[in-house]
Amino acid sequence: MTPVVMDTRDAIETAHTALEGGYYVYAVVQPAPNRVPAGLTGVHGGPVLLVGIETVAAAVGRIPLDRSPGRRAELMAHSKVVDALAECGAVVPIQFGSVMADEEGILEQLLVPNEEFFLALLDELAGRAQYNLKASYLEDVVLAEVIAEDGEIRQLREYTRTLADDEGHGERLRLGQLVAHALEHKREFDAAVLLRAITPYVAAQAPRTSHGVDHLLDVAFLVNDEVRAAFEEQLEGLAEAVHERIRLRLVGPLAPYDFVGGE
Amino acid sequence: MTVQTSRRRGGGYLERPAPSGLADVIEIILDKGIVIDAYVRVSLVGIELLTIDARIVIASVDTYLRFAEATNRLDLVEHGGGKPLDDFIGNLQEKGASKKTSGAVKGVKKAITGGGKDDDEEGRRPARKSSQARRRQSEEA
Repeated sequence: MTPVVMDTRDAIETAHTALEGGYYVYAVVQPAPNRVPAGLTGVHGGPVLLVGIETVAAAVGRIPLDRSPGRRAELMAHSKVVDALAECGAVVPIQFGSVMADEEGILEQLLVPNEEFFLALLDELAGRAQYNLKASYLEDVVLAEVIAEDGEIRQLREYTRTLADDEGHGERLRLGQLVAHALEHKREFDAAVLLRAITPYVAAQAPRTSHGVDHLLDVAFLVNDEVRAAFEEQLEGLAEAVHERIRLRLVGPLAPYDFVGGE
Repeated sequence: MTVQTSRRRGGGYLERPAPSGLADVIEIILDKGIVIDAYVRVSLVGIELLTIDARIVIASVDTYLRFAEATNRLDLVEHGGGKPLDDFIGNLQEKGASKKTSGAVKGVKKAITGGGKDDDEEGRRPARKSSQARRRQSEEA
Protein backbone atom coordinates (compact mmCIF):
# COMPACT_ATOMS: atom_id res chain seq x y z
CA MET A 1 0.00 0.00 0.00
CA THR A 2 1.43 3.36 -0.96
CA PRO A 3 0.96 6.03 1.61
CA VAL A 4 -1.13 8.87 0.34
CA VAL A 5 -0.20 12.09 1.99
CA MET A 6 -2.63 14.86 1.33
CA ASP A 7 -1.40 18.20 2.44
CA THR A 8 -3.49 21.28 2.13
CA ARG A 9 -0.47 23.48 1.74
CA ASP A 10 3.16 22.77 0.96
CA ALA A 11 4.58 19.40 0.27
CA ILE A 12 6.47 19.64 3.49
CA GLU A 13 6.36 16.02 4.38
CA THR A 14 8.59 14.59 1.73
CA ALA A 15 11.72 14.21 3.82
CA HIS A 16 9.97 13.30 7.01
CA THR A 17 11.23 9.74 7.21
CA ALA A 18 14.55 11.13 8.29
CA LEU A 19 12.93 12.89 11.23
CA GLU A 20 12.87 11.33 14.61
CA GLY A 21 9.22 11.88 15.21
CA GLY A 22 5.79 10.42 15.26
CA TYR A 23 2.33 11.18 14.04
CA TYR A 24 -0.17 12.63 16.40
CA VAL A 25 -3.56 11.29 15.30
CA TYR A 26 -6.56 13.60 15.78
CA ALA A 27 -9.37 11.90 13.98
CA VAL A 28 -10.43 9.75 11.07
CA VAL A 29 -12.26 11.44 8.21
CA GLN A 30 -13.24 10.83 4.64
CA PRO A 31 -10.53 12.25 2.40
CA ALA A 32 -11.65 15.01 0.08
CA PRO A 33 -10.16 18.12 -1.44
CA ASN A 34 -10.04 20.87 1.18
CA ARG A 35 -11.17 18.46 3.86
CA VAL A 36 -8.74 20.14 6.25
CA PRO A 37 -9.56 23.82 6.66
CA ALA A 38 -6.79 25.96 5.20
CA GLY A 39 -4.30 27.13 7.76
CA LEU A 40 -5.44 24.76 10.49
CA THR A 41 -2.60 24.04 12.86
CA GLY A 42 -2.38 21.51 15.63
CA VAL A 43 0.11 20.17 18.13
CA HIS A 44 3.32 22.19 18.30
CA GLY A 45 1.81 24.58 15.79
CA GLY A 46 2.32 22.13 12.96
CA PRO A 47 -0.01 21.64 10.01
CA VAL A 48 -2.78 19.09 9.96
CA LEU A 49 -2.26 16.47 7.26
CA LEU A 50 -4.29 13.61 5.94
CA VAL A 51 -2.67 10.23 5.69
CA GLY A 52 -4.93 7.63 4.24
CA ILE A 53 -6.30 5.32 1.67
CA GLU A 54 -8.97 6.17 -0.85
CA THR A 55 -11.92 5.86 1.48
CA VAL A 56 -10.68 6.89 4.90
CA ALA A 57 -7.85 9.05 6.17
CA ALA A 58 -6.30 9.92 9.47
CA ALA A 59 -5.91 13.60 10.24
CA VAL A 60 -2.45 13.79 11.77
CA GLY A 61 0.26 16.18 12.77
CA ARG A 62 3.98 15.54 13.04
CA ILE A 63 5.21 15.52 16.58
CA PRO A 64 8.69 15.08 17.97
CA LEU A 65 8.87 12.22 20.40
CA ASP A 66 11.80 13.51 22.38
CA ARG A 67 10.17 16.67 23.56
CA SER A 68 8.05 17.24 26.54
CA PRO A 69 4.56 17.33 25.07
CA GLY A 70 3.26 20.35 26.95
CA ARG A 71 -0.02 18.83 27.96
CA ARG A 72 -2.16 21.90 28.09
CA ALA A 73 -1.21 23.15 24.66
CA GLU A 74 -1.71 19.74 23.13
CA LEU A 75 -5.07 19.26 24.72
CA MET A 76 -6.25 22.59 23.39
CA ALA A 77 -4.76 21.83 19.97
CA HIS A 78 -6.46 18.44 19.87
CA SER A 79 -9.82 19.94 20.70
CA LYS A 80 -9.38 22.76 18.22
CA VAL A 81 -8.41 20.48 15.36
CA VAL A 82 -11.11 17.89 15.94
CA ASP A 83 -13.84 20.49 16.23
CA ALA A 84 -12.57 22.36 13.18
CA LEU A 85 -12.64 19.12 11.18
CA ALA A 86 -16.15 18.43 12.46
CA GLU A 87 -17.33 21.78 11.18
CA CYS A 88 -16.86 20.70 7.60
CA GLY A 89 -17.71 17.02 7.61
CA ALA A 90 -18.04 13.86 9.62
CA VAL A 91 -15.22 12.98 11.97
CA VAL A 92 -14.39 10.04 14.16
CA PRO A 93 -12.37 11.52 17.01
CA ILE A 94 -9.38 9.54 18.17
CA GLN A 95 -8.61 9.55 21.86
CA PHE A 96 -6.43 12.41 23.00
CA GLY A 97 -2.74 11.59 23.13
CA SER A 98 -2.63 8.95 20.42
CA VAL A 99 0.67 8.98 18.58
CA MET A 100 1.72 6.51 15.95
CA ALA A 101 5.24 5.90 14.79
CA ASP A 102 4.93 6.08 11.01
CA GLU A 103 2.64 6.27 8.01
CA GLU A 104 2.85 2.56 7.42
CA GLY A 105 1.43 1.97 10.86
CA ILE A 106 -1.38 4.44 10.31
CA LEU A 107 -2.32 2.76 7.05
CA GLU A 108 -1.77 -0.85 7.83
CA GLN A 109 -2.70 -0.99 11.47
CA LEU A 110 -5.25 1.74 11.91
CA LEU A 111 -7.03 2.37 8.63
CA VAL A 112 -6.92 -0.72 6.45
CA PRO A 113 -8.03 -3.24 9.07
CA ASN A 114 -10.77 -0.91 10.31
CA GLU A 115 -11.86 0.58 7.00
CA GLU A 116 -15.40 -0.75 7.15
CA PHE A 117 -15.77 0.19 10.79
CA PHE A 118 -14.68 3.76 10.13
CA LEU A 119 -16.81 4.07 7.01
CA ALA A 120 -19.90 2.86 8.83
CA LEU A 121 -19.24 5.20 11.73
CA LEU A 122 -18.58 8.19 9.48
CA ASP A 123 -21.77 7.45 7.64
CA GLU A 124 -23.71 7.32 10.88
CA LEU A 125 -22.20 10.55 12.16
CA ALA A 126 -22.56 12.52 8.94
CA GLY A 127 -24.87 15.50 9.32
CA ARG A 128 -24.99 15.24 13.08
CA ALA A 129 -23.38 17.11 15.93
CA GLN A 130 -22.89 16.49 19.61
CA TYR A 131 -24.17 18.64 22.43
CA ASN A 132 -23.33 18.15 26.08
CA LEU A 133 -26.07 18.99 28.52
CA LYS A 134 -25.58 19.43 32.21
CA ALA A 135 -28.52 19.94 34.51
CA SER A 136 -27.88 21.00 38.09
CA TYR A 137 -30.20 21.70 40.93
CA LEU A 138 -30.12 25.01 42.64
CA GLU A 139 -28.68 23.46 45.74
CA ASP A 140 -30.50 25.56 48.30
CA VAL A 141 -33.83 25.04 46.60
CA VAL A 142 -33.55 21.31 46.29
CA LEU A 143 -32.28 20.91 49.83
CA ALA A 144 -35.20 22.97 51.05
CA GLU A 145 -37.48 20.58 49.20
CA VAL A 146 -35.83 17.60 50.78
CA ILE A 147 -36.20 19.10 54.24
CA ALA A 148 -39.83 20.00 53.63
CA GLU A 149 -40.71 16.59 52.31
CA ASP A 150 -39.19 14.38 54.95
CA GLY A 151 -39.99 14.60 58.65
CA GLU A 152 -36.99 12.62 59.80
CA ILE A 153 -34.63 14.82 57.81
CA ARG A 154 -36.29 17.86 59.32
CA GLN A 155 -35.91 16.57 62.86
CA LEU A 156 -32.33 15.42 62.41
CA ARG A 157 -31.43 18.71 60.86
CA GLU A 158 -32.93 20.69 63.68
CA TYR A 159 -31.21 18.48 66.21
CA THR A 160 -27.74 18.45 64.69
CA ARG A 161 -27.78 22.17 64.00
CA THR A 162 -27.81 22.84 67.71
CA LEU A 163 -24.78 20.65 68.36
CA ALA A 164 -21.13 21.53 68.35
CA ASP A 165 -19.18 20.43 65.31
CA ASP A 166 -17.67 17.43 67.05
CA GLU A 167 -20.94 16.12 68.42
CA GLY A 168 -23.70 14.01 66.96
CA HIS A 169 -21.59 12.15 64.45
CA GLY A 170 -24.11 9.35 64.16
CA GLU A 171 -27.02 11.70 63.65
CA ARG A 172 -25.13 13.71 61.08
CA LEU A 173 -24.29 10.56 59.22
CA ARG A 174 -27.90 9.45 59.27
CA LEU A 175 -29.01 12.89 58.11
CA GLY A 176 -26.53 12.85 55.27
CA GLN A 177 -27.62 9.40 54.25
CA LEU A 178 -31.27 10.39 54.16
CA VAL A 179 -30.51 13.51 52.19
CA ALA A 180 -28.38 11.59 49.72
CA HIS A 181 -31.14 9.06 49.18
CA ALA A 182 -33.79 11.73 48.83
CA LEU A 183 -31.68 13.53 46.25
CA GLU A 184 -31.10 10.33 44.40
CA HIS A 185 -34.82 9.86 44.05
CA LYS A 186 -35.41 13.40 42.96
CA ARG A 187 -32.70 12.99 40.38
CA GLU A 188 -34.22 9.86 38.95
CA PHE A 189 -37.57 11.51 38.63
CA ASP A 190 -36.44 14.88 37.32
CA ALA A 191 -33.86 13.40 34.96
CA ALA A 192 -36.55 11.25 33.38
CA VAL A 193 -38.84 14.25 32.96
CA LEU A 194 -36.07 16.31 31.35
CA LEU A 195 -35.05 13.50 29.05
CA ARG A 196 -38.62 12.91 27.95
CA ALA A 197 -38.79 16.51 26.81
CA ILE A 198 -35.51 16.30 24.92
CA THR A 199 -35.30 12.86 23.34
CA PRO A 200 -37.77 13.58 20.51
CA TYR A 201 -35.12 15.94 19.15
CA VAL A 202 -32.08 13.71 19.36
CA ALA A 203 -30.72 10.88 17.28
CA ALA A 204 -28.78 9.32 20.14
CA GLN A 205 -27.71 10.00 23.70
CA ALA A 206 -24.84 8.88 25.88
CA PRO A 207 -24.58 9.40 29.61
CA ARG A 208 -21.59 11.28 30.94
CA THR A 209 -20.44 11.40 34.53
CA SER A 210 -20.91 14.15 37.00
CA HIS A 211 -21.47 14.28 40.71
CA GLY A 212 -22.10 16.55 43.62
CA VAL A 213 -25.00 17.62 45.75
CA ASP A 214 -26.47 19.64 42.91
CA HIS A 215 -25.89 17.13 40.14
CA LEU A 216 -28.98 16.19 38.20
CA LEU A 217 -28.12 15.15 34.67
CA ASP A 218 -25.01 14.99 32.53
CA VAL A 219 -25.55 13.63 29.07
CA ALA A 220 -24.28 13.92 25.52
CA PHE A 221 -26.77 14.15 22.67
CA LEU A 222 -26.25 13.50 19.00
CA VAL A 223 -28.48 15.83 17.04
CA ASN A 224 -29.24 15.89 13.33
CA ASP A 225 -28.18 19.16 11.73
CA GLU A 226 -31.66 19.97 10.48
CA VAL A 227 -33.09 19.63 13.99
CA ARG A 228 -30.39 21.60 15.78
CA ALA A 229 -32.31 24.85 15.86
CA ALA A 230 -35.45 23.16 17.19
CA PHE A 231 -33.40 21.22 19.73
CA GLU A 232 -31.75 24.39 21.01
CA GLU A 233 -35.11 26.12 21.15
CA GLN A 234 -36.64 23.25 23.08
CA LEU A 235 -33.82 23.41 25.61
CA GLU A 236 -34.24 27.13 25.93
CA GLY A 237 -37.90 26.63 26.74
CA LEU A 238 -37.13 23.82 29.12
CA ALA A 239 -34.52 25.90 30.90
CA GLU A 240 -37.08 28.61 31.42
CA ALA A 241 -39.73 26.17 32.64
CA VAL A 242 -37.49 24.67 35.30
CA HIS A 243 -35.33 27.65 36.19
CA GLU A 244 -36.64 28.02 39.72
CA ARG A 245 -34.95 24.83 40.77
CA ILE A 246 -32.82 23.58 37.90
CA ARG A 247 -30.05 25.14 35.82
CA LEU A 248 -29.36 23.87 32.32
CA ARG A 249 -26.00 24.28 30.66
CA LEU A 250 -25.55 23.33 27.02
CA VAL A 251 -22.18 23.03 25.30
CA GLY A 252 -21.99 22.51 21.59
CA PRO A 253 -22.18 21.82 18.75
CA LEU A 254 -19.10 19.68 19.20
CA ALA A 255 -17.41 16.81 17.40
CA PRO A 256 -19.13 13.52 18.33
CA TYR A 257 -16.65 12.57 21.05
CA ASP A 258 -19.16 10.43 22.91
CA PHE A 259 -20.59 8.57 19.94
CA VAL A 260 -17.73 6.61 18.54
CA GLY A 261 -17.81 3.62 20.84
CA GLY A 262 -14.15 2.98 21.29
CA GLU A 263 -14.06 -0.46 22.73
CA MET B 1 -17.71 25.14 17.36
CA THR B 2 -14.47 26.43 18.70
CA VAL B 3 -15.54 29.92 17.85
CA GLN B 4 -18.72 29.85 19.84
CA THR B 5 -19.19 32.75 22.06
CA SER B 6 -20.92 32.64 25.36
CA ARG B 7 -24.41 33.80 24.80
CA ARG B 8 -27.88 33.78 26.13
CA ARG B 9 -30.77 33.58 23.78
CA GLY B 10 -34.49 33.39 23.93
CA GLY B 11 -35.59 33.63 27.51
CA GLY B 12 -31.97 33.62 28.55
CA TYR B 13 -32.27 30.78 31.01
CA LEU B 14 -30.23 28.27 29.05
CA GLU B 15 -26.51 28.67 29.68
CA ARG B 16 -24.45 28.34 26.52
CA PRO B 17 -20.84 28.60 27.60
CA ALA B 18 -18.03 28.48 25.09
CA PRO B 19 -15.71 25.67 26.10
CA SER B 20 -12.59 27.74 26.07
CA GLY B 21 -10.71 26.85 29.19
CA LEU B 22 -8.56 23.85 29.92
CA ALA B 23 -11.02 22.40 32.40
CA ASP B 24 -13.88 22.59 29.91
CA VAL B 25 -11.83 20.98 27.21
CA ILE B 26 -10.68 18.21 29.51
CA GLU B 27 -14.24 17.52 30.44
CA ILE B 28 -15.30 17.32 26.83
CA ILE B 29 -12.54 15.21 25.37
CA LEU B 30 -10.93 13.28 28.18
CA ASP B 31 -11.17 9.58 27.66
CA LYS B 32 -13.36 10.07 24.60
CA GLY B 33 -12.74 8.86 21.10
CA ILE B 34 -11.44 5.78 19.43
CA VAL B 35 -8.67 4.13 21.35
CA ILE B 36 -5.80 2.92 19.25
CA ASP B 37 -4.36 -0.33 20.48
CA ALA B 38 -1.45 0.26 22.75
CA TYR B 39 0.85 -1.99 20.79
CA VAL B 40 0.58 0.07 17.64
CA ARG B 41 0.62 3.36 19.42
CA VAL B 42 3.50 5.39 20.67
CA SER B 43 2.18 7.04 23.76
CA LEU B 44 2.98 10.56 24.57
CA VAL B 45 5.01 11.06 27.66
CA GLY B 46 2.89 12.58 30.32
CA ILE B 47 -0.45 11.69 28.83
CA GLU B 48 -1.26 9.50 31.74
CA LEU B 49 -1.49 12.58 33.89
CA LEU B 50 -4.63 13.47 32.03
CA THR B 51 -6.31 10.13 32.08
CA ILE B 52 -6.82 9.97 35.74
CA ASP B 53 -9.77 8.16 37.02
CA ALA B 54 -9.77 8.15 40.71
CA ARG B 55 -12.61 6.12 42.02
CA ILE B 56 -14.50 7.54 44.87
CA VAL B 57 -17.41 5.63 46.21
CA ILE B 58 -20.16 8.12 46.75
CA ALA B 59 -21.67 6.17 49.60
CA SER B 60 -18.85 7.08 51.90
CA VAL B 61 -18.99 8.53 55.34
CA ASP B 62 -17.40 11.72 54.11
CA THR B 63 -20.00 12.14 51.44
CA TYR B 64 -22.86 11.71 53.86
CA LEU B 65 -21.32 14.20 56.22
CA ARG B 66 -20.99 16.60 53.33
CA PHE B 67 -24.68 16.22 52.54
CA ALA B 68 -25.54 16.76 56.18
CA GLU B 69 -23.37 19.83 56.27
CA ALA B 70 -24.99 21.25 53.15
CA THR B 71 -28.41 20.66 54.65
CA ASN B 72 -27.53 22.25 57.94
CA ARG B 73 -25.92 25.22 56.32
CA LEU B 74 -29.13 26.08 54.57
CA ASP B 75 -30.97 28.97 56.06
CA LEU B 76 -34.57 28.24 55.29
CA VAL B 77 -35.99 31.47 56.62
CA GLU B 78 -33.73 33.66 54.59
CA HIS B 79 -34.19 31.66 51.49
CA GLY B 80 -36.96 32.89 49.25
CA GLY B 81 -38.07 35.59 51.63
CA GLY B 82 -40.25 33.42 53.83
CA LYS B 83 -42.28 31.81 51.09
CA PRO B 84 -43.67 28.48 52.11
CA LEU B 85 -41.28 25.72 51.17
CA ASP B 86 -43.86 24.08 49.02
CA ASP B 87 -43.65 26.96 46.62
CA PHE B 88 -40.18 25.95 45.76
CA ILE B 89 -41.26 22.62 44.53
CA GLY B 90 -41.39 23.29 40.86
CA ASN B 91 -43.60 21.89 38.20
CA LEU B 92 -41.37 18.96 37.51
CA GLN B 93 -41.94 17.74 41.01
CA GLU B 94 -45.68 18.05 41.00
CA LYS B 95 -46.36 14.43 40.37
CA GLY B 96 -44.47 13.69 43.51
CA ALA B 97 -41.42 11.55 43.39
CA SER B 98 -41.49 8.98 46.10
CA LYS B 99 -39.29 9.98 48.92
CA LYS B 100 -38.14 6.83 50.53
CA THR B 101 -35.39 4.82 49.03
CA SER B 102 -33.63 1.67 49.87
CA GLY B 103 -30.17 0.54 49.10
CA ALA B 104 -26.96 2.40 49.28
CA VAL B 105 -26.21 5.28 47.00
CA LYS B 106 -23.37 3.94 45.06
CA GLY B 107 -21.39 5.44 42.33
CA VAL B 108 -17.95 5.96 41.09
CA LYS B 109 -16.61 9.35 40.58
CA LYS B 110 -14.26 10.14 37.86
CA ALA B 111 -12.20 12.89 39.27
CA ILE B 112 -10.94 15.10 36.57
CA THR B 113 -8.14 17.34 37.49
CA GLY B 114 -7.11 20.29 35.51
CA GLY B 115 -3.64 21.65 35.05
CA GLY B 116 -1.56 21.92 38.15
CA LYS B 117 -3.86 19.97 40.39
CA ASP B 118 -1.96 17.14 41.90
CA ASP B 119 -4.17 15.74 44.58
CA ASP B 120 -5.68 12.94 42.55
CA GLU B 121 -2.65 11.76 40.77
CA GLU B 122 -2.24 8.61 42.74
CA GLY B 123 -5.08 7.27 40.67
CA ARG B 124 -3.34 7.94 37.39
CA ARG B 125 -2.94 5.30 34.82
CA PRO B 126 -2.07 5.31 31.17
CA ALA B 127 -4.75 5.40 28.54
CA ARG B 128 -5.90 1.91 27.89
CA LYS B 129 -8.39 0.11 25.84
CA SER B 130 -10.51 -0.56 28.84
CA SER B 131 -11.14 3.07 29.57
CA GLN B 132 -14.51 2.93 27.88
CA ALA B 133 -15.53 -0.01 29.98
CA ARG B 134 -14.43 1.79 33.09
CA ARG B 135 -16.48 4.75 32.12
CA ARG B 136 -19.53 2.63 31.57
CA GLN B 137 -19.18 1.22 35.04
CA SER B 138 -18.90 4.63 36.44
CA GLU B 139 -22.23 5.90 35.24
CA GLU B 140 -24.11 6.99 38.24
CA ALA B 141 -26.52 4.59 39.76
